[in-house]
Amino acid sequence: MSADPKFEQLVQLYYRDLYRFGFSLAGNEADACDLTQETFYIWARKGHQLRDPAKVKAWLFTTLHRQFLQTRRHETRFKDEPIDEASPELPAIAADCVNRIDARTLPSFLGQLDETYRAPLVLYYLEDLSYNEIAETLAVPLGTVQSRIARAKIKLLQLLNETNPPK
Amino acid sequence: MTTSEAKEKLLLYRGPIDEAVPQFQAALAHARRDPELADWLRDHVRCYDAVRAKLRGIEPPIGLPEKIMRGRPVPFPRDWSRVLQLAAAVLISASVTALLLKWSERRHHSVTSAREILVTGEVLDMTCYIAYHLSGPEHAECAKVCIRNGAPAGLKAGNGKVYLLTGKPGESLNAQLADLAAKIVTIKGTETTRDGFEQLQIEEIRTL
Repeated sequence: MSADPKFEQLVQLYYRDLYRFGFSLAGNEADACDLTQETFYIWARKGHQLRDPAKVKAWLFTTLHRQFLQTRRHETRFKDEPIDEASPELPAIAADCVNRIDARTLPSFLGQLDETYRAPLVLYYLEDLSYNEIAETLAVPLGTVQSRIARAKIKLLQLLNETNPPK
Repeated sequence: MTTSEAKEKLLLYRGPIDEAVPQFQAALAHARRDPELADWLRDHVRCYDAVRAKLRGIEPPIGLPEKIMRGRPVPFPRDWSRVLQLAAAVLISASVTALLLKWSERRHHSVTSAREILVTGEVLDMTCYIAYHLSGPEHAECAKVCIRNGAPAGLKAGNGKVYLLTGKPGESLNAQLADLAAKIVTIKGTETTRDGFEQLQIEEIRTL
């Protein structure tokens, strides 16, 4: 067990959120664990450089995302489907949308999105971050983040609509 | 604002968390007036909540936090002021040690200033005394012969201190000392020390 209570406290506070983010990005448990661990190890080495304690969470999410992008440079696990840049038509939201969402199929739907869109969409759903905070975490402009979330969300709704609802 | 435009605006709306975000205000107001849009918004938020709930339902494997804490690298931030302090301490310590060694060396290798003393003790044949620890009346004859034949003579004082007995430079007192071998005498002379070795240059010998 760690002898550093601050580190332990930080792990207890954020490991679930980071794991979920990692799982939503990578699509599997092993990679999500690796990403979460590596993020905390980077914190252990470099965390003291962070001046503003209020930004710890954003720092951790940014670091995990960077780690994910680094690993993605070397491997292709998902077939990313680029999202049409042209203004997409808003899909109808199926009345039984809630029933079509399955804990197993949802990560595979997310995996079908280009990683550029996946990260903002996951942060949009998963964390109670403002759009500014999401933009800061991903180091992209606010307008770009909102545009990416909108496109990714439309794509996700399309995928959900194509899914047969459970009988 | 048309219903279609309002839907586009509200596509990102997440419910209470975005209630106060200015970009949604006009569209939300529109939804309050338009029942169809209000229905769409309700379904939209329900769908958002459902996706969010599924994502937040993802649970990390048991033992992950312990695994993270076990594998934590021990940080070693370089505090340069501490490093410099340590370096200075090592430097000072090394300098002090070197000075002490030098001082000790000089002390042990220096000649203490010669002084006149009076010592009472037994006349020794230094060769036999140092090599075989022989002294006293039972060794007197041997010591006499050895000293007479040129072996160095010494004086063992009452406190155990042993002096090499010499005459003035170029002068040998062996013939005189040979007759005093193993006897107790008092010698007045000049004591000189070099490298821890004591020499007594005889000026006067008094027999008891």
